[in-house]
Amino acid sequence: MNKKIRRLAVGLLVCYLVLFIQLNILQVAKQQELSADLRNDRQTIRDFNRTRGPIIAADGTVLARSVPVVNPDDSAKYQREYPLGDLFGNITGYYTFNFGSTQLERTHGAELSGTTSRQQVRALTNLLGEGDISGTVVTTLRPDVQQLAKDLLAGREGSVVVMVPSTGAVIAMYSFPSFDPNLVANHDTEEAANVLKFLTALPGKPLLANAYQERYMPGSSFKVITTATALQYGVTSLERAFPNETEFTPPQTNDPIRNYGGKACGGTMAEVFYRSCNIPFAQMAIELGPERMVGGTKAWGIGEAIPIDLPGAAASAFGEVSDFTDRLPLLAIGGFGQGSDVMVPLHMAMLASTIANGGEMMKPYVVDATLYHDGSVLERTDPEVWKTPIDPGTASTLTQLMIGVVNLGTGRSMQLANGVQAAAKTGTAQLNAAGEPQRSHAWIIGFAPAEAPQYAVSVVLKGTTDEISASTGGKLAGPVAKQIFDYLFAHPDPVPVAQSVSAATPAPPPVGSAQP
Amino acid sequence: MSTASPIASTRRSTELGLVIMAGSITGAAYTLASLGKNAEIPPIIVPFLIALLGVLLLAHIATRLLASGADATLLPLVALLNGLGYVMIARLNDRLARLQTTWTIVAVVAYVVTLLVVQRAADLARYKWTLFAVGAGLLLLPLVPGVGRTFGGARIWVRIGPVNFQPGEFSKIALAVFFAGYLAERRELIATGTWHIGPLRLPEPRHFLPILLAWGFSVVAMVGLKDLGASLLFFSLFVVMLWVATERTTYLVMGVVLFAGAAYTAWRLFANVQTRVAIWHDPWSQYEGKGYQIVQAMFALANGGAAGTGLGLGSPNKIPEVKNDFIFAAFGEELGLFGATAILIAFLLIIGAGFRVAIRSERPFEKILAVGLTTILGLQAFIIIGGVIRVVPLTGITLPFVSYGGSSLVANYVLLALLMRISDSTARRAGEVPDALTVGERFEARGAVRQVKRDVKRGANADREPR
Repeated sequence: MNKKIRRLAVGLLVCYLVLFIQLNILQVAKQQELSADLRNDRQTIRDFNRTRGPIIAADGTVLARSVPVVNPDDSAKYQREYPLGDLFGNITGYYTFNFGSTQLERTHGAELSGTTSRQQVRALTNLLGEGDISGTVVTTLRPDVQQLAKDLLAGREGSVVVMVPSTGAVIAMYSFPSFDPNLVANHDTEEAANVLKFLTALPGKPLLANAYQERYMPGSSFKVITTATALQYGVTSLERAFPNETEFTPPQTNDPIRNYGGKACGGTMAEVFYRSCNIPFAQMAIELGPERMVGGTKAWGIGEAIPIDLPGAAASAFGEVSDFTDRLPLLAIGGFGQGSDVMVPLHMAMLASTIANGGEMMKPYVVDATLYHDGSVLERTDPEVWKTPIDPGTASTLTQLMIGVVNLGTGRSMQLANGVQAAAKTGTAQLNAAGEPQRSHAWIIGFAPAEAPQYAVSVVLKGTTDEISASTGGKLAGPVAKQIFDYLFAHPDPVPVAQSVSAATPAPPPVGSAQP
Repeated sequence: MSTASPIASTRRSTELGLVIMAGSITGAAYTLASLGKNAEIPPIIVPFLIALLGVLLLAHIATRLLASGADATLLPLVALLNGLGYVMIARLNDRLARLQTTWTIVAVVAYVVTLLVVQRAADLARYKWTLFAVGAGLLLLPLVPGVGRTFGGARIWVRIGPVNFQPGEFSKIALAVFFAGYLAERRELIATGTWHIGPLRLPEPRHFLPILLAWGFSVVAMVGLKDLGASLLFFSLFVVMLWVATERTTYLVMGVVLFAGAAYTAWRLFANVQTRVAIWHDPWSQYEGKGYQIVQAMFALANGGAAGTGLGLGSPNKIPEVKNDFIFAAFGEELGLFGATAILIAFLLIIGAGFRVAIRSERPFEKILAVGLTTILGLQAFIIIGGVIRVVPLTGITLPFVSYGGSSLVANYVLLALLMRISDSTARRAGEVPDALTVGERFEARGAVRQVKRDVKRGANADREPR
């Protein structure tokens, strides 16, 4: 019998070995995945009982921080607070007890709570120090510019993105509508749930950042890409001239394409660019053909999610070759930013940046660095090239064309103070079909100074009101961009902003009307 | 037993040292847990902890007096599991901690009483049919109307007067003793099959009957009590004992086939079995419902990671029923992979010690019984830990010595006492420990002496018969 008993022992040993392997799978291999599950609030409970580091702006302004809870009935020891209210809601995201966390609060949760392995190791060598090992996230953002963007949007739906062309650092990125994370971070679960329900039901989708999580038809601002592609392939040059036409009928249809407002439009390449004629760009798109045109858009990263260091970034879209081979008219109108084109506002700022940066498109980022609890650098973001869609020669040709827009064309509203030369392209994306009431988005993208660019900007105003829809990118978005540029050149260093909200007295949540 | 042999005194000293170590670990764990931020253990629990540690020491003293030759590692391992389980229960719910102290005292008393009553392991074989009746009766008791109670879908509770208990916990021991007795007697007959069915050589049906009976018991447990864990445990236990006793692999194969058939049928017929399997397969889709518990257990384990959150620093109370079925997940969370592995190793060491007891014994009955009892502990721990971490479908049974619960604790201490007794009996027969007559034997001997004297007297009288 002893032989069988030994075998039985081996059998049970194997059973326990299986248990041990499964434990390793759950506690080590799948640990990250399980801990990241939104339904798993254990990490949160642990985190809420210790300090969590702040998220700060480039100038040190606090965007998010943890403060000790005053209410003795509260289950947690710390309350997350966002001193600037809704100004950075779409970038910091929220950090809640019951509803998980979003944006930087989520992607940099480990650094903020001090649980990365490097922070843990550093803490071990510092056993006698204080227990707080939470890290800090330093962003590239300037609250004063962000506040200006908010003021300039003045309650109109849309977004403003400001970035540094040479690095990809985002200086301001404001979307309206935004939301106040303080209302969601409220420890009163029921109240926070009502706020979330209300925010989710709002038509403007404040929880989604227009600037990088949504995409809109670009209109004429897309002509930059058509022109770039046509220049790269030699389909056009500064010498090319286009006849003055009112109509152009692309292949495979009898339906002619018209210019904006039905006017006759033509001239040199520079003229058709600054006057923003539609027909020449439709013709260039047809001449390029589906393959080269689609390849051209892909060179700019269209079709890929934008590689910003924030979660949930959207991808711009143009279409695939197969979408156009039998639908050349769609390709033609795609050439001037209509039809199936949709662009992420941040991507449009990256377009301007690429031209400003001699053809290199940098990866956009908002996190400049993360810091250890003692203030030394944990990790610093190194600027990286994402795409190189055009060569420096094409970039300088496009710059010339865009200077023309500001000096002579649709973007004259972008003539900056103190003689600073800007380069820009406007866009007015027509959303309504023929015969329907006018609906259009107003766009502008640009950079300045044209000869040595420091900043690139994209502004979009969504066609949600009659006022916006009746106007153009040049008239509406241009002045917003101009004021941003003028401010940036007048204030190269950040100006402190007043903290508008204190979590100690959170504004009453808009409950009541919240129920759909 | 004052004239203890060197071997006995070495074993008992080792045991004492290890029990003290287990007690120190428990005390240290308790201190850590009460310092943890998430746990609030009121100071009133301290006397209860001291009582618990005292009672474990008492178990050692009883072993010294009653089973001085027994294995030295079993009791300390049990003390460690019991102590760590106690700390976790105290950290989860201080009211239950007080009750658990009471249960531990009752369990250790049961341990001592078992050692007192069962002075020779071989004696048990004599009562195998009585124990069979007791075991079967206990198993079926919850089905009796008015007495049985259903909790959590399983009808495994009995309420008699003010006392609630799970008779199944005791039933498994009684049935293991019965089966060991039965197999020790007839294992040769069962092993040498004379009944040919096709390629199979089976024993005579009358020898084979108990196996079908065992199968019947597990079906009763599954169908009548809706207790999958007990069903699996019962059947595996019988098959394993049969296989070890007869040394014929045919039985193992047949057992697996029979169980697979029963399990498949149960899965087809019973909704609760289907639910269990579905949750095992994919708990995520039923997060809001029946899968919640197991998903929370996985979250807890992940939260623990390799090193654990530390005692009192996790959130094990988010798992429903964490105090009994899911207590292993609480250890996984707060002590991490290291702590959970330590518990697995403790069970493996118990299994090893139990099988060592079986191998050392030269008597078939004691051998088979030791295998059966060890298998109960080893398999039960595997089934519930495997259920908690999704290796097998979850079935509601307790983690021996660790989970909260009186029936389980008392039954497992009785089981421990039997293992210790077998170990001690073997040592005495081997001459490692001086043997003395037991009270019963002395009583019998006195009767025999008297009888002899009477006979001698009668013989002497007969001699005086006139010629």
